[in-house]
Amino acid sequence: MPVLMILLMVSFLVPNKATAQISDGKDLPVTNYRLANGMEFIILERSGSPTVSFVLQYRVGGINDKIGSTGTAHLLEHLLFKGTDDIGTLDSEKEKLLLDQMDLLEDSIIHLEKNSPSSPAIDNLKRSVIQLEDRAQVYVASNEFERILSRNGARGLNASTDSESTKYYLELPSNRTELWFMLESERMNHPVFREFYTERDVVAEERRLRVDNQPGNLLYEAHLRTAFTTHPYGEPVVGIMEDIQNLTRKDVKSHYQQYYGPDNAVVAIVGDVKTESIKQWANKYFGHITPIGFQEKTPPVEPVQRQERRVSLAFEAEPQLRIGWHTVETTHPLNPSLLVLSALLTGNRSSRLFQRLVVDDRTASNVSSSLGPGDLFPKLFSISVNIQSPSGTEQVEKAIYDELGILEATPPSERELIRIRNQISAGQIRRLSNNFDLAIQLAHSTAMFGNWKYGFSLAQELKKVTPEMISQVVRKFLTAENRTVATLISNKPAIR
Amino acid sequence: MIFQTDWACLRIKAKTAVLCLCLVNPFKLDAQSLNGVRYDNLEFEPLTFNQPDVQAYKILEDVNVLFLEDNSLPLVSVFARFRGGTSHFSQEQQGVVTAVPMLLRSGGTVNLSSDSVDALLEYHAIDVSFGRDGRTSFSSLNTLANYLDEALEIWSDLITKPRFSSDMVQVWRNQELDYLKRSQRDPNTLAIRTFNRLIFGDHHPTGWALRPEDLEPQDLAIQKLRDMHGVIFCRDNLTLGVTGNIKWKELIPKLSRLVRSIPPCERSFEDRSQVPTSADPGIYLIPIDLPQATIITGKLSRIGLNGNAEYFASQIGNLILGGSGLNSRLSSRIRTEAGLSYSASSIWTTPMNPPGVLAAMTQTEVQSTTRAIKLISETLKEMTKKPPNSREVQDAVDEISNGFIFNFQNPAQVISRQMFYLTQGLPLNWLSAYLEGIQQVSPKDVLNTFGEFVGEGNLDDMVTVVVGDRATVEAGLKNLGPLYILEPL
Repeated sequence: MPVLMILLMVSFLVPNKATAQISDGKDLPVTNYRLANGMEFIILERSGSPTVSFVLQYRVGGINDKIGSTGTAHLLEHLLFKGTDDIGTLDSEKEKLLLDQMDLLEDSIIHLEKNSPSSPAIDNLKRSVIQLEDRAQVYVASNEFERILSRNGARGLNASTDSESTKYYLELPSNRTELWFMLESERMNHPVFREFYTERDVVAEERRLRVDNQPGNLLYEAHLRTAFTTHPYGEPVVGIMEDIQNLTRKDVKSHYQQYYGPDNAVVAIVGDVKTESIKQWANKYFGHITPIGFQEKTPPVEPVQRQERRVSLAFEAEPQLRIGWHTVETTHPLNPSLLVLSALLTGNRSSRLFQRLVVDDRTASNVSSSLGPGDLFPKLFSISVNIQSPSGTEQVEKAIYDELGILEATPPSERELIRIRNQISAGQIRRLSNNFDLAIQLAHSTAMFGNWKYGFSLAQELKKVTPEMISQVVRKFLTAENRTVATLISNKPAIR
Repeated sequence: MIFQTDWACLRIKAKTAVLCLCLVNPFKLDAQSLNGVRYDNLEFEPLTFNQPDVQAYKILEDVNVLFLEDNSLPLVSVFARFRGGTSHFSQEQQGVVTAVPMLLRSGGTVNLSSDSVDALLEYHAIDVSFGRDGRTSFSSLNTLANYLDEALEIWSDLITKPRFSSDMVQVWRNQELDYLKRSQRDPNTLAIRTFNRLIFGDHHPTGWALRPEDLEPQDLAIQKLRDMHGVIFCRDNLTLGVTGNIKWKELIPKLSRLVRSIPPCERSFEDRSQVPTSADPGIYLIPIDLPQATIITGKLSRIGLNGNAEYFASQIGNLILGGSGLNSRLSSRIRTEAGLSYSASSIWTTPMNPPGVLAAMTQTEVQSTTRAIKLISETLKEMTKKPPNSREVQDAVDEISNGFIFNFQNPAQVISRQMFYLTQGLPLNWLSAYLEGIQQVSPKDVLNTFGEFVGEGNLDDMVTVVVGDRATVEAGLKNLGPLYILEPL
């Protein structure tokens, strides 16, 4: 029976206020609600369309992967869509028996690989594991989790893993808010990592799609790996192919047990909801979940870079250039100056490097800059350029250093900064127009910086950056010995 | 990321924002799992909301304006759509028809250099964008409400008094040529571009991709740019949309000034679309040495964007085949069951003037290419031989019906969609007709539509494009049908 759950009424769109006021976001009526088990809910009631955006963020990402097991956090993200004890199975008991047998065989494989790596039994055992998964497939209701949400009108159902966090997000018609609580609590508490080996293959394909087939992303990987010799920011979040192909259910289970609990989770809910109902559902569905006793581990510190590093990739592709300098973590007082520097160099058509490389020299077709790959530890300030043939990477590199030299000696004009400040202000307002983007910001600010207002405060800090502060960070960080240069050079005729 | 679908081609989703009626009964989820889990017991209250009331006006008696007041933020968005896109001009004119809207933004105005335009827009934090598609050229403006007058003045100059500075023409040309070179190494872009060319042939605009030879300096000569600008960016081609923190009465004089600044059209043009001349069915291989192959297989479809039963059946059929994320058949089979791909999906385009295309796309490790093509073929064949089960149809209908509210999430989205309907000549009640039509689709309708418009679904009736390593895939592909080796377009 087709069901349309909408009562449409003929009327005018009700404005929130007679005349809109500019807000810097910090005065939004946000409620921060914390359960006894440590789980945090950031709730923002907003009138408008009866929809609601959810972002659940766990403080775990690529930097938490063990050496030799890169990609674990990302594979776990995929497996969280495979269902739970109750969802996605046709007979949970029979299925569990087979999954347990798989785990036992995996133990044996790990033991053999450690003690007799050339044993022929290893391959036999691996085949047996796959056979067991095939047998277990009989009991699987594939993609049930997604199906429940889709048929309830969910939009934007997806997830992402970065260096330091894993986010699960979707939007629902607001009358289905409770469904999110029910499903999300189930998968926090009772996930089942079924269809493991096929999903591992899917992740390998994802790596081929996003990285191995994409020269720009291969260069990005090589750049980070060269710049970060010790800190895990140098490792790819999607994982190294060899690591991905050797991940086991036990690896993922252990990761889940270590990081997926209410005390390591933040939820942002923005939309047509009632805060009191959200609190009740939070208690009902998540309140009983035992905390995992999550304790942050500090990764090894990246040693100070003493001399320029260079890496070059040869690929059948148009040339690209990346230059990166070690800087500071996001909460550092100099971070706002670096962000404004990024806008000044590449933020728009008037920016200095766009004008120099794309408009004046015509040696590049595009230029961008960023700070990353994470927030919590000292980041790389990176400039990335698509080189326009027949220009060479050396020529573009030199032009960039020229421009940085000018900034080092002479602060930018006040007028340049006013333009950037005005755009920051407008950007803050535009951001408020989208519930989903707002939910992402609120969850990230709370999970990473312990305060939902952090994103808005940072915007205020950006507006305080002075011309001299720009020159100061150029002098301090963008030095020759602190930089890592990565170049992608075309090595063959384009087509065979 | 758990999933992603990469389709660069235009995907037309039929949605409108006109009033339709309601069901008020509380909704109880059907049982969905054999274990009788708790979510079965959830009951949801009916969803109530106030439908955005889009007002339709005319300015200077001949320009349609759609207006939706939205006082939630101190912002105003203005949208302009001009009839005139790639399908109205010859292949030799594709360079200039693409260049004009882009150079309206970057090429300066009679009064202001390109730099000065950038500086002004950035100073006032005004967002302006330009673009074009097959049938229209368009622009949008987003500004803080208190800068609306300044923003409209600059925007009007950009639209009506372009400078087309030769320096900026050259900069744009360089960027475009570089993009074309880079896209020759991007397997997805290459596959889609080649597929469109093969399936629509040399004489249909959908088959045309911009080529370096369309961007010769003489193709972008200032007189050609001015001529194309004059033909498209004139008043009779214009439809406007406005949403934001402003009253209609305040807006009238501002829009009148804007519209008056745009001259009436002196010349007209016709749709140049001709009957496509598809390439022979078969496997077309573009050899590139990459670890993963990209595959597209499909054929032309005669279904158009209209209110006929087969249109609605095609929408539901496509969701079941590959348009509905992980649950669709292609994804279930190729990704979930076989682990062969990160993404497997389908698209069924239904333009106002058919034909469109039904196609499936995936990417897989190059050694698995043949296996993946066979799985696509089997899945397509199934759709033509047996009706989908009623649960699949119901899931697809529910996905659209229960997510219907997302059509009204944001005023700019509502206005843009309404403008699309207006420029496409769709009726104002299209959205309610769409929802009603979707809810009438039965499994048999889906089967009949696949049978009538897709035929047997055999691979030897399809055009299949593979971008991949020749040494690895050639032998396997030869077993699937006639194999043609192509140079990248």
